[in-house]
Amino acid sequence: MNIENKVLACVDRSPYADHVTDHAAWAARRMDAPLELLHVIDRHPEFSDSQDHSGALTPNAQEQLLDKLSNDDEMHTRTAREQGRIFLNRLRERALAAGVAPVDMRQRHGYLDETLHDHQSGVRLFVLGRRGESVEAPPDELGSNVERVARALERPLLVVTEGFREPQRILMAFDGSAVTRKGVEMIAGSPLLRGLPLQLLMSGKARSDGPRQMDWATSTLSAAGFSVTGDIVPGDAEAVISKAIVDRGIDLLIMGSYSHSPWRSLVMGSKTTDLLKSATVPTLLLR
Amino acid sequence: MNSLRVEWFSNVRNDLLAGLVVALALIPEAIAFSIIAGVDPKVGLYASFCIAVVIAFVGGRAGMISAATGAMALVMVSLVKEHGLQYLLAATVLTGVLQMIAGWVRLGALMRFVSRSVVTGFVNALAILIFMAQLPELTNVGWHVYAMTAAGLGIIYLFPYITRAVPSPLVTIVVLTIVYIVLDLDMRSVGDMGDLPDSLPVFLLPDVPLTFDTLRIILPYSLTLMVVGLLESLMTATIVDDLTDTRSNKNRECVGQGVANIASGFVGGMAGCAMIGQSVINVKSGGRGRLSTLAAGLFLLIMVVFLGDWVSRIPMAALVAVMIMVSIGTFNWNSIRNLRQHPASSSVVMLATVAVTVATHDLAKGVLTGVLLSGFFFAHKVGQILRIGSLAENEGRQRTYQITGQVFFATADRFINAFDFKEVIDLVRIDVSRAHFWDITAVSALDKVVLKFRREGSMVEVIGLNQASATMVDRFGVHDKDGDADLLADH
Repeated sequence: MNIENKVLACVDRSPYADHVTDHAAWAARRMDAPLELLHVIDRHPEFSDSQDHSGALTPNAQEQLLDKLSNDDEMHTRTAREQGRIFLNRLRERALAAGVAPVDMRQRHGYLDETLHDHQSGVRLFVLGRRGESVEAPPDELGSNVERVARALERPLLVVTEGFREPQRILMAFDGSAVTRKGVEMIAGSPLLRGLPLQLLMSGKARSDGPRQMDWATSTLSAAGFSVTGDIVPGDAEAVISKAIVDRGIDLLIMGSYSHSPWRSLVMGSKTTDLLKSATVPTLLLR
Repeated sequence: MNSLRVEWFSNVRNDLLAGLVVALALIPEAIAFSIIAGVDPKVGLYASFCIAVVIAFVGGRAGMISAATGAMALVMVSLVKEHGLQYLLAATVLTGVLQMIAGWVRLGALMRFVSRSVVTGFVNALAILIFMAQLPELTNVGWHVYAMTAAGLGIIYLFPYITRAVPSPLVTIVVLTIVYIVLDLDMRSVGDMGDLPDSLPVFLLPDVPLTFDTLRIILPYSLTLMVVGLLESLMTATIVDDLTDTRSNKNRECVGQGVANIASGFVGGMAGCAMIGQSVINVKSGGRGRLSTLAAGLFLLIMVVFLGDWVSRIPMAALVAVMIMVSIGTFNWNSIRNLRQHPASSSVVMLATVAVTVATHDLAKGVLTGVLLSGFFFAHKVGQILRIGSLAENEGRQRTYQITGQVFFATADRFINAFDFKEVIDLVRIDVSRAHFWDITAVSALDKVVLKFRREGSMVEVIGLNQASATMVDRFGVHDKDGDADLLADH
């Protein structure tokens, strides 16, 4: 077992933390890898909830304000640290009970995406909830962190939905692109899904070399011992994949992610984000 | 892209509310600063609107408020008096150009020479000058002006104990205006001080001849305005950095201030910069993002253009009360207590900055005085770190001088006087391995010592010149140059 190849579960104090831990424990068990639970305590200096609109400058207003703001920050961080320690311990117990060992836990200050990016060297798989504690948006919205984190990382990222069910039926969105071809090789070489049935699905605009790509993918995976099927269904990728997930009772989706720049996504929209939004099952993003 | 979203839209509700609070406080200030500068209130109001809106996009410090300011208004008084508004507008544009250049050549780095004592002196002087600018409104007036001003201050400081949801300066202005209108008091109002904006600002070229004479008139003012504007802006940025525990881009702020001033000059506004008091109010009210600055500018213009008739009926006493509050809030009251506790040199720097500024009404001169004094005191203090000891060796044939510390212009004399040239001795060793030779004064002092010993017939060996000193000696010294070796052979 290589200690440098851990599964890193990003948890916060949202109800998702339990599901993230369960999924991470499953992955760690399958890959016989150590698990680390990470809680990032982020500050939001760009946000304020001040209710003081008196607009009066009292003597030494600046010093008093500095005192008040730093006290607030200190209190907030202390509380977060203490509560974080408590819930991390609880999650650790949960992972240990699921049969993973060793389970490490860690709290860090900073932004989630930056922290994960800086720590990715020893990590083999990241696990993240699709929404975090800060989300007030409607339930089908993605948490604000998911896209940022996915873009910041160069490792596979498992984005977890509510509820844990050990994945049995796995769908891989395969479009013949470099990212997904690399993904096929990763899956073939990883113990994570070994022995599970795998369904490849190619959709979107029909490609002339589609069948050839699909043959290559299925034969690569078969050679690695997977029982694999491959379908080519033309049509809008998001619609085809969403429908397949429901029709075939899929419980894990695999896809390549964010191969275009943020600017292009801003204008064109991102297929990855759209799929993540509509996906009702855990999704493994391959970078 | 990510940070763009964070800087603009992560705090929308509070940014808008804080922007409103700031706009309400900006209106009396912009009017008051126009009066200080000797121009119509609309010049300050257009400037405040334009600078706040532009800096929201191009500034380097989110959440900082920039507008027409007292520090800048004080500089332009004589320009307006002698040459009129159009030259002020031209000077404003030139100030912006100079500030942009200053940002590009990263002049902001010079701020590190402005010590804390100078900053304290700057804000104290600013507070005193703002207060003094209110005195004309309080001299040779009837008792009811004093009563109104006192009532205004009472409301400003006591109303927050009732509720903090409404800005107390606004309450002051509304209440005093109602009293003034209802009782039909005989006192001056804002409308008596000059024109208010009657429309949205329009693009105007300053009506000055584009000649060398014009440049000669406005350049000195623009240079001072550039320095004062950047000083206050960078100081304010540091304050906001500390308050919010985030970082700002100082050079971007310099360029941004320049862009804002150029824009202000072209819409008939005076030069401005960041405001310490307003920025503190903004942060205190929950403003953090660029939206708060933009909102402050937009709200200000909307209120002034659409409520212009009412603004003109605000009694000056209400404005004076608000400005006294600004002055009291800007002054660093702890600095008075600290006068005894801080080192005397720091206190002298602070007081000198205040004194020169108040005497000249020019914050740039005050800061320059403070910076020069700081440098002087620092040189004096560092000069204390020089120890010279000596020991006879080899049965009295040889003496080794051990030099420890800093040798430079302020210690060169002490360095020379520490040697005993009249001692009869074969070899003098000067061990400078633990000394620093900083400048040519230090190097020539060492030369002098070496040559003096040689004249007395002693051999001299300088050992352990460390790398920093060696560089200086190599470049400027004479005693160990080629020609000098012959000199030595002659003895």
